[in-house]
Amino acid sequence: MSAATNGTALRKVAYYKGCLASLSAKELDTSTRALAPKVGLELDELESVTCCGAGDIHEAEPDYYLHLNARILAYGEATGSDTLMTVCNVCTLNLRQANHMLQNDEALLARVNANLEAVGVPPYSGAIEVKHLLWLIAEGEGYELLKQAAHKGLKGLRVAPFYGCQILRPSKLLGFEDPDRPWSLEAIIEACGGEVVDYPAKIKCCGFPIIQAREETALRELMQPIAQARDAGADAMVTPCPLCHLSLDAWQSKLNASERRENPRHEDFHMPILHLSQLIGVAAGLEASELKFKRHVVSVKPVLEKLEA
Amino acid sequence: MPSEPTAAAASTNGALSPTMDVAVKIWRVDPETGERALKTYEVEAPEWVTLLDVLDIIKDRVDGTLAYRKSCRMMICGSCGMRMDGAAVLACKTRMADIVAAGHVPVISPMGNLPIVKDLVVDMGPFWSKMRAMKPWLQPGYEEPPEGKEYHVSQERMNVIHKEALCINCGCCVSECNSMESDPDFLGPAALAKGMRFVGDARDGADVERLEEYNSEHGIWDCTRCYFCNERCPKGVDPRDAIAKLGAESIKHGIDRDMGAKHAKWFVKSAETTGWLRETELVPKTQGVVSSIMQIKFAMGLARRGKVPPPFPPHVAADVKEARALRDIVQQQGREGALGHVQGERALSYIEHHTTAGNRHAPEITPGEEPVNRDVGERP
Repeated sequence: MSAATNGTALRKVAYYKGCLASLSAKELDTSTRALAPKVGLELDELESVTCCGAGDIHEAEPDYYLHLNARILAYGEATGSDTLMTVCNVCTLNLRQANHMLQNDEALLARVNANLEAVGVPPYSGAIEVKHLLWLIAEGEGYELLKQAAHKGLKGLRVAPFYGCQILRPSKLLGFEDPDRPWSLEAIIEACGGEVVDYPAKIKCCGFPIIQAREETALRELMQPIAQARDAGADAMVTPCPLCHLSLDAWQSKLNASERRENPRHEDFHMPILHLSQLIGVAAGLEASELKFKRHVVSVKPVLEKLEA
Repeated sequence: MPSEPTAAAASTNGALSPTMDVAVKIWRVDPETGERALKTYEVEAPEWVTLLDVLDIIKDRVDGTLAYRKSCRMMICGSCGMRMDGAAVLACKTRMADIVAAGHVPVISPMGNLPIVKDLVVDMGPFWSKMRAMKPWLQPGYEEPPEGKEYHVSQERMNVIHKEALCINCGCCVSECNSMESDPDFLGPAALAKGMRFVGDARDGADVERLEEYNSEHGIWDCTRCYFCNERCPKGVDPRDAIAKLGAESIKHGIDRDMGAKHAKWFVKSAETTGWLRETELVPKTQGVVSSIMQIKFAMGLARRGKVPPPFPPHVAADVKEARALRDIVQQQGREGALGHVQGERALSYIEHHTTAGNRHAPEITPGEEPVNRDVGERP
């Protein structure tokens, strides 16, 4: 068994990377893989898995949603690990919700298992827990290793945490921390030597789920966290969710254009948005090829320059 | 005139209950000038008080001009919705002892997303007009029972709307709705949960007409899935889940013209063809080709950063045929639409489901026999 930098044995987890980290947010996957051993994790990537449905299949065809997620959980369990690690809020809620349904309803689990076996998937016993990377490193041994790994530090970089929704609410299904007073991202920013920037919209919605169907409404939602973070003096924002990241980073130019139309004196946002694994990765000295900041739409250069100064 | 605060809480308390000193900060709003001021109040109160009791004591003894709504004091009427530390609560459901013990002085303010009338009172007008837009009454169309007989609805059919029927119209969900903050015309969680309560009602004959209406510009697909409504609802209605049921029912009935419905259907298509989301095709499949072409400049900007993964060759998950086969099985088993959501409620809901609830064939006592309290055994 391989070991972390301090000699501790690595904890093996089933790694479900989800759609975005495979596609438009590859930088999330590369930085997560590079970071994992430094925070005591060995990633066993799940191959035979699909999209969790992102809340969309849950809405459109709820029974199919349940089966797709049961299949992911079953393959996760088959790795022998007790933990299935996610790197996306939406995957986290979808998988935890399905898991909760299956773990608390024997008849439902039996029906789903019969269907899984009929198509050649191993049955699911209900023994795996779904945890976001954030939860594995915000406390306990993961947090201690994180503090050691983040030796380069963020040198007082002012970082605004943005949680997004589906890692906090509904707390009955997520429940890692108080959904109104979360602390995990703050603890990590501080462990990395950054300065936490607080602002009310850090627990609100980024607008992403409706950014294609209701762009105007979504952009007004997106406006709140970015504007509040800038007003509070943030150099950058950090998020545990690649969908929030897409919204905050890739749609920032659209937000600027829409704000300029309404207010000619709007001062454009240039807010760098970091994935959780990238923020820690910077402090832990990951390579540029692992962080892949070139894949961001809003330049991260000002952050890197501030750290080099 | 408000009376002077008295030293002892005995008048509201009875002699036996111990008391505590409660402090709260309340946002006072002057309806004439619109001026706002955060004022601190400290009163002595019995340890069992709720936030509503504290407001009553303040109004009785400190300042009779404080305005708030109340009626039943027991979580039934839905009058006393307000915010404590920014989160919507029913004042009558919120006990103060732990807050006082923690040395915390909470900030009390009116609910969000509704105009303020005075202090903690909001104008519920917009709330009720959205509720009315849902046509919250039965529109018959079912098969009439035989002359002189009752229409029996099975427990299974009532389970579909069990949670939605618990709504007390307090507005706590609406207060926190992130979509409504950005689009005040959004029908919102309370009204849509009410809509599901009728769409799912076995006695209502207008479900398709209702779904057509709820699929309007400011309807179902405006929900941004922030889950604040589920988090705040004091009665376990889970309005977001009710909206998901409406989405599932709409798609079951082929009502899929909205971009939100097309977006949702593309995820199903992706899962059963390649397993992973076919991300790049999502925009044209949701918005149509014309709208997508108008966005080409934006898309090119994203493409330069690798945010538009090429659709060919497709990124296909290993063993995706299993996911396809699962969909065939699921479709044959027929838990379509809201039923797919309802089957999960036993595990998910904040309220308890009992399989024997409402079963008239399992009486607690046999007529003519003396009732026995089973929990405490035989009577002395």
